[in-house]
Amino acid sequence: MALLEVDESATYAPLGRVTSNVRCVQQSLEYKFQTMKFRTWLASIAGVLPASLMAVVLFLAVYAWPAIRFNGVRFAFENTWNLGNLYADPITIAGTQIQPGAHYGILFLIVGTLLSTLLALLLAVPVGVGAAMFLAEKVDARLRTWISLFVELLAAIPSVVLGLWGYAVLIPFLAHYLFPLLTHTIGYVIPIFGGPSGSGYGLFTSSFVLAMMIVPLITATVRDALVAQPAPLRESALALGATGFETTYHVLLPNTRKVLIGATFLALGRALGETMAVLMVSGNALNYLPHNIYDPISTMAAFIVSQLDSALQDPTGMAVRTLAEIALILCIISIIVNALARLVLQLWSGYAQRPRLAV
Amino acid sequence: MSFRTGVACTAAFALVAGTVLSGSAAMAAKVSLLETGSSLLYPLFNLWVPDYQKNHEVQITTQSTGSGTGIAQAISGIAQIGASDAYMSNPQMKKDKGMLNIPLAISSQMINYNIPGLNKQHLKLSGPVLAGIYSGTVKNWDDPAIAKLNPGVKLPHNQIVPVHRTDGSGDTFIFTQYLSFSTPSWSNSAGYGTTVSWPAVQGGIGANGNPGMVNATKGTPYSIAYIGISFKNATDSANLGEAALENKDGKFVLPDAATVSAAVNQMSAKTPADERISLIFAPGPQSYPIINYEYAIVKEQQPAQTASALKAFLKWGISPTGGNASHYMNAVGFVALPKAIQELSDKQIDKIKPATG
Amino acid sequence: MTIDVASVSHQIPLSRTASASHQVRLSRRLFSAAGWIAAGSALVFLSALMVWILGVVFIRGFGALAPSLFTTVTQGNGGGLLNAIEGTAVLSLGALLLAVPFGVAAGTYVSECRFSRWASVIRFLADVFVGVPSIVLGYFGYVTMVEWLGWKFSVAAGSIILAMICLPYICRTTELALGQVSNDLREAAYALGASDRRVIMKICLPAALPGVLTGILLALAISVGETAPLLYTAGWSNYLWDGSLTHSPIGYLTYAIYTFINEPFASANALAYAAALLVTGFVLLINVVARFVLGQVRH
Repeated sequence: MALLEVDESATYAPLGRVTSNVRCVQQSLEYKFQTMKFRTWLASIAGVLPASLMAVVLFLAVYAWPAIRFNGVRFAFENTWNLGNLYADPITIAGTQIQPGAHYGILFLIVGTLLSTLLALLLAVPVGVGAAMFLAEKVDARLRTWISLFVELLAAIPSVVLGLWGYAVLIPFLAHYLFPLLTHTIGYVIPIFGGPSGSGYGLFTSSFVLAMMIVPLITATVRDALVAQPAPLRESALALGATGFETTYHVLLPNTRKVLIGATFLALGRALGETMAVLMVSGNALNYLPHNIYDPISTMAAFIVSQLDSALQDPTGMAVRTLAEIALILCIISIIVNALARLVLQLWSGYAQRPRLAV
Repeated sequence: MSFRTGVACTAAFALVAGTVLSGSAAMAAKVSLLETGSSLLYPLFNLWVPDYQKNHEVQITTQSTGSGTGIAQAISGIAQIGASDAYMSNPQMKKDKGMLNIPLAISSQMINYNIPGLNKQHLKLSGPVLAGIYSGTVKNWDDPAIAKLNPGVKLPHNQIVPVHRTDGSGDTFIFTQYLSFSTPSWSNSAGYGTTVSWPAVQGGIGANGNPGMVNATKGTPYSIAYIGISFKNATDSANLGEAALENKDGKFVLPDAATVSAAVNQMSAKTPADERISLIFAPGPQSYPIINYEYAIVKEQQPAQTASALKAFLKWGISPTGGNASHYMNAVGFVALPKAIQELSDKQIDKIKPATG
Repeated sequence: MTIDVASVSHQIPLSRTASASHQVRLSRRLFSAAGWIAAGSALVFLSALMVWILGVVFIRGFGALAPSLFTTVTQGNGGGLLNAIEGTAVLSLGALLLAVPFGVAAGTYVSECRFSRWASVIRFLADVFVGVPSIVLGYFGYVTMVEWLGWKFSVAAGSIILAMICLPYICRTTELALGQVSNDLREAAYALGASDRRVIMKICLPAALPGVLTGILLALAISVGETAPLLYTAGWSNYLWDGSLTHSPIGYLTYAIYTFINEPFASANALAYAAALLVTGFVLLINVVARFVLGQVRH
């Protein structure tokens, strides 16, 4: 019988190390070869995922290159999306063929995307954290699962259905009741709440719809983190005379800060890429920035959808390539945001990368 | 992989392959045509297709996506019929040779507004005033320019919300042509096209498709929009107001069969063989200024299977006993093609040939 | 474990002790009560929103439900949704057929060989991939498959793009599911001399099956709800699928929601709500099944 010696100080490690720690009659070169072959085979199949992402980014970069060169840096700082005179003959500027008058500037898109996402976070985080606190502390465990599920399903609703609801129900409600109310109350104090109350299509509506999609993520994460707080911590705070709310708010919640920030980044990533719901409620502003929270806006993702067939009218193809440039920028921004989120989660130890040995 | 897994995989693959192949074999017999494009032509195609398919073996899918998409997909061959309210531009015709712009009917465009209390009246508006509204120089409904055209009407002091199309649209094309032909300052700035760089007007809204325009105007008090005539039922049921527009002779007219026909008769003699011409701002005291040919943008070279089906359908469409019959035209507010134009369209349809090789 | 009482106590406003005036205690109680009311209102607000949305979708959708919805295709401005339902099924199943093998393989590799450089790369890219807007992928699909490869609007293009959207989710959930399989199981298998392939395919994956299935179901829910990428790859068709993978567009439910709601015809609007009801109902059902029947898996 082979004696099995297991190195108990080793944490679970790559397959190779475990097998080398197990001295067994069957270990042989052939066995090692089989292991390598399987791992390589698995690795190459797994490679489809990174390959497809790389293909998309590469394609966008190559396809948008002429537009990147033509538009330059001023692209991000101007409010002039102009496809030019599509019914005139193309002209050539600096070696590129474009329609006369074509000039691309997407400042309003960048502002629209950033503002709607930030406002969505401003709406979602307090509501999400509040709901999480209540769920974790005041609702008993059995009921908690059901209510949490109910609220988390908010994130599962397809974007286009939320857009449908927003368009059919939310916009009339906001335009007829909430917005006029706000302009006549807070509007006199805070300028961005004032001004014409608009048509209901605009910044606030887009942010509200985005917030609905990201709140469940924040609620679920914070709730789990609160529930996972050690009981002694809670008990000692209560023993010192704190009320339940003070315990949760001053003692437990700060411990969830790291998880909350990580979840916020992930929510940010999701909000940046939202297309359909925003497309249906944002008002599709063109070439101007919002003056108050009721003004129409445009976001990058929604803009690509709404402008694609206009861009296809440009015989020089520059308009389509510029849309590809916008898509590339959006892709890069979401890559950066998601990478930051993972980095934050990893560095601040909310994220277990190495499973522990079962004890 | 074990033997059982292998057998299971092969069986599954065979099942899938069998379904796919038998499916395509069965369906290979039926020709399918894809029509996509103008939201203005969409209601008409939806009336034509069910009736046409009663007597003809062909599957026609209709889509409302916007004239821009219609033209682009007809050029790339993804769609057989690109419905468009705008003809193709010269650079486009040069770049993509072998495209036909075939008028199917004559349509017009309404200017609708939503002013509480004034929707039952027909306000008088002109090209320069509209250009002012859409460029932000005419800000409120009681602006002197509007008041001058409408003496005695109590106009409210509210900000005008101009609604424009976001998608590549033939309606935008003909509307901006009206603005360009009547107002030099517009012609020198935004110009015309299926998509233009709309001057930034605070609060202006972009909507998708004619239906989107109807809904946006319906939901936004003090808004104004340009909407195709085939949506008259929708604008009526939404209680939107309709403007009387100033034509080239200085008269204010509403779009109806008489005024549209008057404009067509002025322009049909001038229509060239490739039928790409603007009917905007036609002369004549009775002429309505915003009318246009509704085009089917079609590639001359079609796959052998679809060429004859496509020709048959288009010929039926322009025929006075087929698609141009009065009950179809009246249902969407269009006007039938005059005989001379029908003959020109017919000649263009004859150019559709199966691709060789 | 030890609790640092000092750090706890200084976070609580204990400067006012119990022996202070009654008024002070009241202010803390009021603040706490206000706090819970605020937190509770947040929860009530969210629940109310959920009820409102579901209410609108279901009530208006039910109004449009009729047996003909499931037996006829869309015709003009009305008709049924049979072609859209069939199309959604075909596209989603096609997407899963493509995504599941590659996604599960990726997740397995990342979980089992987690210290290799390649695994870290894949894990990072999978997380990043989830965040790429679906319109970007749809646009990519339009230019490469619909135009360059000449497939036109087709099931192939639509399914491939949907598969790309599902891939990172399946990879991630597979990794999590495998991570929850106890190491004892693995070590026992290795100790008995099983090869890698046996351990993974015969021991680990079956043990992680509920988690993997959850991931697949969630990916299915996502693909059923997608709109933007399909607009540019699958197109739309008023007819049932003719079985060809290329050169033939296909319908799907989310198109009906997006386009028909805008039509000024009541019959078209009814179809939009009916489609919304079907899609939302199906997606919610999958989510509930995945959570409860198969156990919860944290994203």
